[in-house]
Amino acid sequence: MAAAPERMETQPRVVGFLCDWAVRSEGLLNPDDTVVGMPHVTVIRVPCSGFVKPGWLELALRSGAAGAFVCGCPMGDCLNREGNWIMEDRIDQLRKRLSRQKVDPERIAFFAYGLHEREQFLQAVADFVDRLRGSGGKQ
Amino acid sequence: MYRRLLLALQSATLRLDTWVNRVLPQDFNPLYYTGGLANLFLTILVVSGILIFLYYEPSLEGAYASVEFLTHHVPYGVVFRGIHRYAADAYLVAILLHLFRNWFTDRYREARDSQWLSGMFLLVVSGFAGFTGYLLVWDERSQLLTSLTTQALRSVPLIGGWLERVFLGGPGVSDTTLPRFLFLHIGPAMTLYVLLWWHYVRLRHPKIWPPAVWVLFSLGLLFILASALPAASGPPAQPGASPEGFQVDWFFLWPYVLARWTAPGWALALVVALVVYGMVIPYTLRETPEQRGLRALGQAVVVEENCTGCELCYYDCPYNAIYMVPSPYPGKSRAAANRKLLAVVVDSRCVECGICIGACPFEALELPRMLDKDVQQRIRRGAGAAAPVAS
Ligand code: HEM
Ligand code: SF4
Ligand code: SF4
Repeated sequence: MAAAPERMETQPRVVGFLCDWAVRSEGLLNPDDTVVGMPHVTVIRVPCSGFVKPGWLELALRSGAAGAFVCGCPMGDCLNREGNWIMEDRIDQLRKRLSRQKVDPERIAFFAYGLHEREQFLQAVADFVDRLRGSGGKQ
Repeated sequence: MYRRLLLALQSATLRLDTWVNRVLPQDFNPLYYTGGLANLFLTILVVSGILIFLYYEPSLEGAYASVEFLTHHVPYGVVFRGIHRYAADAYLVAILLHLFRNWFTDRYREARDSQWLSGMFLLVVSGFAGFTGYLLVWDERSQLLTSLTTQALRSVPLIGGWLERVFLGGPGVSDTTLPRFLFLHIGPAMTLYVLLWWHYVRLRHPKIWPPAVWVLFSLGLLFILASALPAASGPPAQPGASPEGFQVDWFFLWPYVLARWTAPGWALALVVALVVYGMVIPYTLRETPEQRGLRALGQAVVVEENCTGCELCYYDCPYNAIYMVPSPYPGKSRAAANRKLLAVVVDSRCVECGICIGACPFEALELPRMLDKDVQQRIRRGAGAAAPVAS
């Protein structure tokens, strides 16, 4: 953890939203919303992935994040029936809007992982960070 | 204790999902479509039922023969009969999976209790229709089921005799009995559609069909079953005889196994107790969301002066909790002055999911305990912008 501050400069910053019902989140996050062991990744827990406003993802990019993502439950298992389908749609539209504005749409991601899939979720986030770094990191 | 049991069951249900998802793509996991599967089998039942109805003769002398005629002389009659029988079993399995899934994944209480209650009614009416179906064949099994049911009804205090008359369509098994049974089979089947309206009235776009692959697979499976294990009648009913054993369909006829072991009245009492318990399940755990370890964020609230009446929240709310009403007065803000409609949240339907907040482009909806401005601040902090940036 001591090396974190330097590492943070080289790792692209990412802001994500995680549904309360998706990945089990005990011990996943620090009090300041960062993921334990990934100080460059901030995860804000939301009641349902469908709660996320596309505007918030844009705000994250505008405020300096290299990427932003939303993670909901497996498709079909949304507690609120439709939240993750709706969110997936909204993200598609946001991506189109971003590419019209000459912003790389790959900076936005959508994941779907269930209660028992924390490892896969963390792996997906790590891969996302890698992809962002590969494509030029910060902007 | 009970609460911890439910949590363990929830965890197990989701673990099962993970396994299925390893084999099938997520979109095809049948456990995500149990309601749709139930509806599919119900539809198959109705269609095959109409075909059987065309040949059925509701009379003591003719019923057995008409079913035999259908089975042996009508082309593919045996297949349709088999499909009707096995679809009924599959239907019940689907409903029960649906029931337990909704129970264990906590989708049954508070704003969702109306779906649960209507579901219990669907279950009861379905079970009843399944049982009366076995009476129509009028073989030995039908006769035995009739006499056990009559005994059970007679043991009901006060109204027992009346119930028996209603069930048999007369003071005893007579010419009017089978027409009555036919009604008791088809009447409940039609009632299901009324109950389904209640079941869906608070759901936006209910997923009433499983993915096409599953429709084809289920149909194929039913055809194969119906051809490989043809549905058959027992020996015909004899007036005055009292048959002993019968072949049990465990899905619909289990109370009758019990009725044979103990008194028929007890079997009836047990069924009634189970149903009543099922109906109070949503109200058994009187805990606040905090006690359940949830963050209760409060029901969605419309910020009146920002709402433009665009209806986007209305289209996205999965529980039909948002109504668009004529904008009641010329508001003070610009949005209010120009709109025709205003969004209103119906509190008793709102499950606090916040999906409408994600839908609203005008910051006109909020969850009271997770406000837009606080989320924005956390985003800026996470993104590395120390001071708020103008947007
Ligand atoms: C005739 C049998 C039934 C059919 C065809 C049926 C069908 C459905 C369908 C299509 C949905 C919507 C699912 C979605 O779009 O996500 C649903 C929801 C629901 N059903 Fe049923 N159902 C039946 C019986 C039952 C029974 C027996 C119960 C439990 C007692 C039940 C409890 C529920 C609940 C609680 C929901 C709401 C789920 C949620 O809010 O996410 N249903 N049903
Ligand atoms: S929070 Fe919004 S979308 Fe969710 S049920 Fe309530 S009104 Fe509907
Ligand atoms: S989405 Fe927002 S602006 Fe549009 S009707 Fe709903 S509350 Fe009003």
